[in-house]
Amino acid sequence: MDSGSNLDTLMARYQAGDFAAATALVECIGPQLHRFFMAQSASRSDADDLLQETWLRIHRVRHTYRPGEPVQPWFYAIARRVRIDHYRRASRTTARERRLEELSDVAAAFPREEAQGDDLETLLAPLAESQREVILMLKVAGMSLEEVARATSCSVGSVKQKVHRAYRNLRDRMNAMGPKKGSSGGLT
Amino acid sequence: MRDEEVDKVLHNAAGVAPRVEAALLKRIADSINSSLRPVRPLPPTWVLTGTLALICAAVAVGAAACTGFYGIGKLSPWERVLIFSTLGILVWVAGKEFVSQLIPGSRQHLSVSAFLTIASAALLGVFALVFRDYHTDHFISAGVTCLLTALLLAIPAAFLSWLLLRRGFAVNALAAGAAAGGLAGLSGVTMLELHCANFQALHVLVWHTAVVPVSAAAGALVAWALRGRCEI
Repeated sequence: MDSGSNLDTLMARYQAGDFAAATALVECIGPQLHRFFMAQSASRSDADDLLQETWLRIHRVRHTYRPGEPVQPWFYAIARRVRIDHYRRASRTTARERRLEELSDVAAAFPREEAQGDDLETLLAPLAESQREVILMLKVAGMSLEEVARATSCSVGSVKQKVHRAYRNLRDRMNAMGPKKGSSGGLT
Repeated sequence: MRDEEVDKVLHNAAGVAPRVEAALLKRIADSINSSLRPVRPLPPTWVLTGTLALICAAVAVGAAACTGFYGIGKLSPWERVLIFSTLGILVWVAGKEFVSQLIPGSRQHLSVSAFLTIASAALLGVFALVFRDYHTDHFISAGVTCLLTALLLAIPAAFLSWLLLRRGFAVNALAAGAAAGGLAGLSGVTMLELHCANFQALHVLVWHTAVVPVSAAAGALVAWALRGRCEI
């Protein structure tokens, strides 16, 4: 269900007004996007809200997807923008201007409420926001470098650089935690 | 620790089943299915870009026809070719940039700020090559008149472009506004080159070139102001 061609077909049927395709698409892409938000926001309720907002936006602009184009960058570009808009709104309402890098520092300093020790969200928490999103797209969504570049509106070279830095950070952290923990995925 | 081991750890962590409530997905599916209607996908990029270029050209030529083709009348044939081919290329690239802002996840060869920098530099280069009269009369008053005229003309060009692409813009509203403003500004510059017979180098270099960044800034400002209201 989650292969690119199946998603393309589902998307084309969704544009044609097929209820079953729309439901299948929500069930297929929804968990991926939810995980994308979970890894980047502090709470589950935020991730739920962001997922709903993303689907509203997807539904409103579904005509902008063109059959034949890669579908995952299309979804992730919208999800990424919803997250940025949400972050800006939240910053305005709380009147606290914090940089994204600082947020990741806070996340690293204070364990997440749902951290289980070996989940992806905890593993990626120490990374900067931009590094975390490219790792999520590459490793969870299974997108190519070119697709990640499209989703994040930057060049392939820039994506490679972020991945390189993310891996370096993760390597350093895993080395600091010791080889036993690192190899079993436990980094908390 | 090597990259392969980091890969393995990430792979193991990613393998844990995503935690999302089925009820949430059902609620989302129900809400979008309640308003689900067939939609027609967008036409190819070149069709949209070509239409935007035609809109800009039509607005510029229409305005120049009303005010008079004094500028182009004074230019030599090679100067016309140089100026208008440059403007044509820039309008095409700006149109493509505007369309790519409409489509989430589309390949972007150039950021809007890079395009505006390149467009301004290209115009400066061409104008510096063509206009060599370095004495200045009424620099401010004549310049402000040209700038305001071009910006006023950019309004209908931007409005018509927005009408063409109004359903969309799910991603970066500010970049889309700046791209639309840049495109409309180029329409204004085209009109000035057709109409304005003031060939003093400083006048053209400063005031005619300024239309593009000022119009782009105005476009970004309008997009920012409308962002909440239009949900773009």
